[in-house]
Amino acid sequence: MSVTKPIRIAIIGTGNIGTDLCYRMLRDSRFKVVALVGRRSDSPGLNIFKDEVDHLVSNGIEGLVPFLKDIDGAFDATSAFDHKNHWDILAKSQKWVMDLTPSKIGLPLVPVLMNKIPVMSLQNNISSNYSMVTCGGQSSAPILYAIASASSGIREVEVSSSIAALSAGPATRLNIDQYIESTEGLSALISGCDKVKTVLVLNPAEPPVMMRTTVNISVDFCDLEQAKVSALNVVAEVQRYVPGYEIVVEPHLQSLNTISATVKVTGAGYVLPEYAGNLDIINSAAVETAVLHSATYRSVSKK
Amino acid sequence: MTETRLYDVTLRDGNHALRHTLSSKFVRSYCEKADQSGVWAVEVGHGNGLGASSFLVGKSVESDLSLLQAARESLKKTKLAVHSIPGFATIKRDLVPALEFGVDVFRVATHVTEADVSQKHIEYLSNNNVIVHGVLMMSHMIDLKGLVAQAKLMKDYGASAIILMDSAGFFIPREVAERVSAIKNTLEVEVGFHAHNNLGLGVGNAMSAIHEGASLVDGASMGLGAGAGNAQLENIVAASSREFSLKSDVYSFLQMSKLVEESYFDKLPRTTSSSTQSGLAGVFSGYAPQVSAISEELGLDTNTLWKEMANRKLVAGQESMIREIAQDLMNL
Repeated sequence: MSVTKPIRIAIIGTGNIGTDLCYRMLRDSRFKVVALVGRRSDSPGLNIFKDEVDHLVSNGIEGLVPFLKDIDGAFDATSAFDHKNHWDILAKSQKWVMDLTPSKIGLPLVPVLMNKIPVMSLQNNISSNYSMVTCGGQSSAPILYAIASASSGIREVEVSSSIAALSAGPATRLNIDQYIESTEGLSALISGCDKVKTVLVLNPAEPPVMMRTTVNISVDFCDLEQAKVSALNVVAEVQRYVPGYEIVVEPHLQSLNTISATVKVTGAGYVLPEYAGNLDIINSAAVETAVLHSATYRSVSKK
Repeated sequence: MTETRLYDVTLRDGNHALRHTLSSKFVRSYCEKADQSGVWAVEVGHGNGLGASSFLVGKSVESDLSLLQAARESLKKTKLAVHSIPGFATIKRDLVPALEFGVDVFRVATHVTEADVSQKHIEYLSNNNVIVHGVLMMSHMIDLKGLVAQAKLMKDYGASAIILMDSAGFFIPREVAERVSAIKNTLEVEVGFHAHNNLGLGVGNAMSAIHEGASLVDGASMGLGAGAGNAQLENIVAASSREFSLKSDVYSFLQMSKLVEESYFDKLPRTTSSSTQSGLAGVFSGYAPQVSAISEELGLDTNTLWKEMANRKLVAGQESMIREIAQDLMNL
């Protein structure tokens, strides 16, 4: 019996994120893309994959229902609003879902932290809902964790990101408040601090800028040397699933009692250009989580 | 001029010049004078607007609500206004409390090419019975056709006026006239103009907007604002009094400017060689302190740096990019 049977998935959403996910998973032997779900038959996102995906669905989640028996789980790259409805249907059919919208329904998960923070442990339930939170969340969380673990008395946390305007699709633009609230929720979860702030700047500069995320933490005490070592270690771990993730400013004292560090995210360049590191990091996190969840679930179900 | 309302940004844009140290005490004494002047609205808050106090762009010494409260208590005739940038402010955390506080005018601002980010905020506010303006910042960074398209988005979301900000102080009067009339001739919406004084044209540009039929014109007492400062409000009124019969009394505006002059003598903005270079290059002039420091450190000409920042189409809020650009220039 083969232990490397591919994970059978559907991708819901044919925008920037869905298209990039589809492209990368079609080239990843760990996955079998069973269906790609859009909402319009003339969707350019669907047309790209007409020769590569078995089932191109153009009438939304209803169109996916006949194929639910053929998938293990789904990636939802639509909107927070639509995700609620999608999850109702997927949960009834015992499917897991990787939520790439900022809906805040599922368990927020940053792959590199799942063995470091108890609340981020994988769930032993086949129909789990994992939230990838936001690109700002995925890029800031590892650094925030590293600095927080070397600090005591965390008073305030701020995550500010700038992304290329070209990489911000209509859903992100319409839902910028949800982006902020979801990112702030993750910062609070990791730091244990309620005073959290998130800023997002859309940057139309040319050539397009790579995503940058800066974390500022106001603390009573921080062992800066330990924070630096932890940050470099955790960045190396993230690079295993996001090769373009790098620290550009190491943790340093920004002002009295405030520690600051900056990371840059260069996209892998699957469908979208390299400047779309914001999309790359969230998709990479979802893929990594799907692999880990599937492995866990399979080992549990064998027992 | 009879149709043009004056919009006072001293207590908001001026907070850039004060590095966000504005106090509710000063807000109170300023607003008491402003309320007697006939100025249509006074905008109050952090330089980057509601909810913008942050490590990134600077922490306010006093909270938004504390400043708004002082203003609310002092303004009886003049409207209380706020500036708000989606990405910094959210509806739930910032707009809802400001609505409950009785703010009369909300200005929702985006970079001139990114108007669609304002949709939910403008829609929410216009359903709440307050005056909503859409603000296009760095409005020189787009052609006329694009400008009208972005203005139309904000209008369609529910903004009753579109405010063009010359955030870099780049425009000359003819360009202001072209932009104001392009929107007025295409869309049924009020137009406002917000000048900066990098080329010494703040008041001249404001006058150009007035001549073109702008409904709102922004100014700050003593020009208190980011970079080289804004158009001086008292001078807009004085110059207008030469041309039009005004309801406003120049003297009361001079009282306001005198209060600012005496209170912040060492913080008043002025046009410098660096701010002229940034104005010509069309770069946000608030970057001047960083540009000077980094140029000196690396032995780079400030003008070269401003020009390259312009080539890369830098917008406001990108302080972290300046060093990187300077280093690239040194390697050439």
